[in-house]
Amino acid sequence: MINVLYLDDELHNLTAFRAAFRRDFHVHVTTEPTEAVRILREQPIEVIISDQKMPTLSGVEFFELIMPDFPGPIRMLLTGHADIDAVIDAINKGQIYKYIAKPWNESELRAMVNEASMLFHERKAVSDQGEVLLHRMQEARAMALRIERATSQASSLDASQVAEINKQAVEINRLLAD
Amino acid sequence: MGGFASSQLRNKRGIRFAVVACTLLVSFSAQAQKFIGTRLEYLPEAYNLDLLEVEVVAESEDWVSFEQLVPNLGMGEGVEWMRLTLDPMTENGKLIEIQNAGIDDLTCFMVCDGKIIASYPGGIMNKGAEGHQFGTYPSFPVPLVECNKLHALFRMQSNKPMIVPLRITGPRRVLEDAHERDVLFALYAGVMVVMLLYNLFLFLSIGDRSYLEYVLFIFAVGGAQLALNGYGFVLGTDHWPWLNLRLTHFFGVFSGLTTILFVQNFLRLSRYVPWLHKLLNGYFLLYLVALVLALLGRLEWSYQLINFCAAAIFFCIPGAIITIRKGYEPAKYFLLAFTVFIFAVFVFVLKDSGVIPYNAWTFYALPLGSAIEVVVLSLALASRINQLKRESVHAREEQLRVSQLNEQMVREQNSVLEERVAKRTAALESANSNIQNTLDELQSAQQQLVQSEKLASIGQLTAGIAHELNNPINFVASSAQSLRRDFEDLSKVIDKLKAMDPLSPNLNQEMGQLKEMFGALDIEFTQREIEELLNGIEDGTKRTSEIVKGLRIFSRMDGDNFTMAQINELIESTLIVLRSNLKDNAVVESDMGVDLPLVSCQPGRLNQVFMNIITNAAQSMDESDLAVEERKVQIKSRKVDSIGQSWIEVRVKDRGAGMSESVKAQIFDPFFTTKAVGEGTGLGLSIVMGILSDHNAEVEVETEEGVGTEFIIRFPL
Repeated sequence: MINVLYLDDELHNLTAFRAAFRRDFHVHVTTEPTEAVRILREQPIEVIISDQKMPTLSGVEFFELIMPDFPGPIRMLLTGHADIDAVIDAINKGQIYKYIAKPWNESELRAMVNEASMLFHERKAVSDQGEVLLHRMQEARAMALRIERATSQASSLDASQVAEINKQAVEINRLLAD
Repeated sequence: MGGFASSQLRNKRGIRFAVVACTLLVSFSAQAQKFIGTRLEYLPEAYNLDLLEVEVVAESEDWVSFEQLVPNLGMGEGVEWMRLTLDPMTENGKLIEIQNAGIDDLTCFMVCDGKIIASYPGGIMNKGAEGHQFGTYPSFPVPLVECNKLHALFRMQSNKPMIVPLRITGPRRVLEDAHERDVLFALYAGVMVVMLLYNLFLFLSIGDRSYLEYVLFIFAVGGAQLALNGYGFVLGTDHWPWLNLRLTHFFGVFSGLTTILFVQNFLRLSRYVPWLHKLLNGYFLLYLVALVLALLGRLEWSYQLINFCAAAIFFCIPGAIITIRKGYEPAKYFLLAFTVFIFAVFVFVLKDSGVIPYNAWTFYALPLGSAIEVVVLSLALASRINQLKRESVHAREEQLRVSQLNEQMVREQNSVLEERVAKRTAALESANSNIQNTLDELQSAQQQLVQSEKLASIGQLTAGIAHELNNPINFVASSAQSLRRDFEDLSKVIDKLKAMDPLSPNLNQEMGQLKEMFGALDIEFTQREIEELLNGIEDGTKRTSEIVKGLRIFSRMDGDNFTMAQINELIESTLIVLRSNLKDNAVVESDMGVDLPLVSCQPGRLNQVFMNIITNAAQSMDESDLAVEERKVQIKSRKVDSIGQSWIEVRVKDRGAGMSESVKAQIFDPFFTTKAVGEGTGLGLSIVMGILSDHNAEVEVETEEGVGTEFIIRFPL
């Protein structure tokens, strides 16, 4: 189940959200930004939904705040009519993935969360592959280092030793081809 | 004009009259007088004799003869004696006449051989006595007695010079002469009276002051001549010896004073000859002193002083000459008149001193001279009036010429001006129509701005309300869907329950299934959730209806009509509408007065006022360093009473940046804004001001930079 965090100062919205999506997602709700940060730290949150208009700080501000520590989760902003300018700004700066106008359409919202989750996982996959590649590249570099060292010793080698090295080179090539 | 012509005619008649009078005078007095001063004797030492001694003295050897034909015995307190030796044979029955009416006290004693046989009182003191039976001069009859020696002794005392022109002649001759004199003086008096009345008439009709002075002058000069010649009785003074004694003095002073006034005014001395004017003022004072002396009884001194002052008249000659030289024509007549008069005075004085013979000409020199003087002066006055007239006509002509010139210039100027005015008017009209156009444009622009300000506030409002409504609608709608799902879950359980048969043997197994279902569907949680959702729905609908109610109050935009409304309600509805806008930048603390009376107002427009002021208060803290919880907008409403007046007072206070005095002074000006370009029209507060002044509300702004601003609005009840 997708882990969703929903931040809103309106308690009834939280209740309604959880009632609507508890069957589909793993829903975490709170009215406090600090509580939201705690949840982010403790739960593998994939999608964050925040209301824009809140008394202490706005949704966009909240996203700015958590970006450095939690860049992964997909951010969606829930807005009323008046905040379009802020939303446009936020989208252009790449801080949010989607914005949802109140009142929300349940099925649309559900679809959006699913999409966001997919996006999260795709990104995660890409970044995982990237990590593997990075690892392999590091290995390759280490190998190249060894080869260089070996090559420097090669001048004093006999035929059997050369054959052995060739065998190792073939092995390396095979590895690199992978 | 006719008046002047006739006055000149009268003057000509006056001259003819004077000529006739002179002719008469010459014919009457063709015969020289025969005075016998040399036959008179006097006592060289002063004697004060009583009557017994008179008889003795009459025969005295001390008597000394006079040398002049007309002796002068001087004047003063002292008594003088004079003896005339008569020839009883030839001179009895004749009259001794002394032709001097100015001797105060005079008694004639007839002494026959050392015996007084008769005494006759005469002189001013004894008017009407025997010595005055034949006219104005004292005269005494020589008695018809047979004596060896017949003397006439005269006892005399006078405060005026005792000049003694004495003759012995027949009573008929005396009477004739007296008659002649009477006629002449009547003539003189007539001339004077005519001149007096004539000039009085002129004074009354013309109103020129110099005529009045002239009338007084004539009266004084004429009166003086009459008094001097013993005709004081015509003035009715005979019954008052005290006055009679001083008559000459009074008239002397009076004629001196009037002469000075007349000369000063006539010759315009203050203008032409100021020094003479001042000198004559001095003489004026001396005359007054003489008058006082006469009143005090110092008649001799008074007479001397008057004589001294008479010298003033000589100064009139150079005065007149200077005036003529300065181009004052009438002074010529004046000069002539005074020369004649002074000549007459000279003749009179020379006659008295015996330099020239005592005859009719010299005798009548003074009255004649004064009559001529008066007539010529009358001409001088006419000339003066003519001169004045000429001057005034000239002045008027000059004035007319100047005014015509002015008129001409004004006409020319006028046409130039009219042209300019026409041009200017045209320019102004075109400028005016330009201004009118601009004004129309401005007015329509202003209307548009006011309209757009209104629309902006409506837009702001709509956004706010939409947001306010969005939340409850959002969770109510969402909750409804969730409820349906929860209900479906519950329905499954209920269906299961319905399908269960209490009598079924599988009941235990079915109960187990049901419990399983409870667990799977998490029915307990669902129950709790349903309750929460229902609470949410209730709360949402309540909030929605509140908002709608607030909106209804707020949007009473029909409210351009004055109705009674609760100010608190208006503020609260405004706050509801503004809630979402304020939520992320300020905290509103409202402190509303309880049981405030209703205020007659336009609710819709007042909402605009409150919205504007509260929004401003919130926005003033946008740049503030304060935490959002500290950005307070404090709203307070109260009923306040001051002397004879109750108000509803609304205070809106913020903790914003405050304003400088110069900003504060301009906040209600249209288009004044401290916001960045495009953020505000600058019309908000000017509209607020307009609305509040329609409500007769007072607005006060208290502000301090860095501390905050408080708007205080007072609505009169």
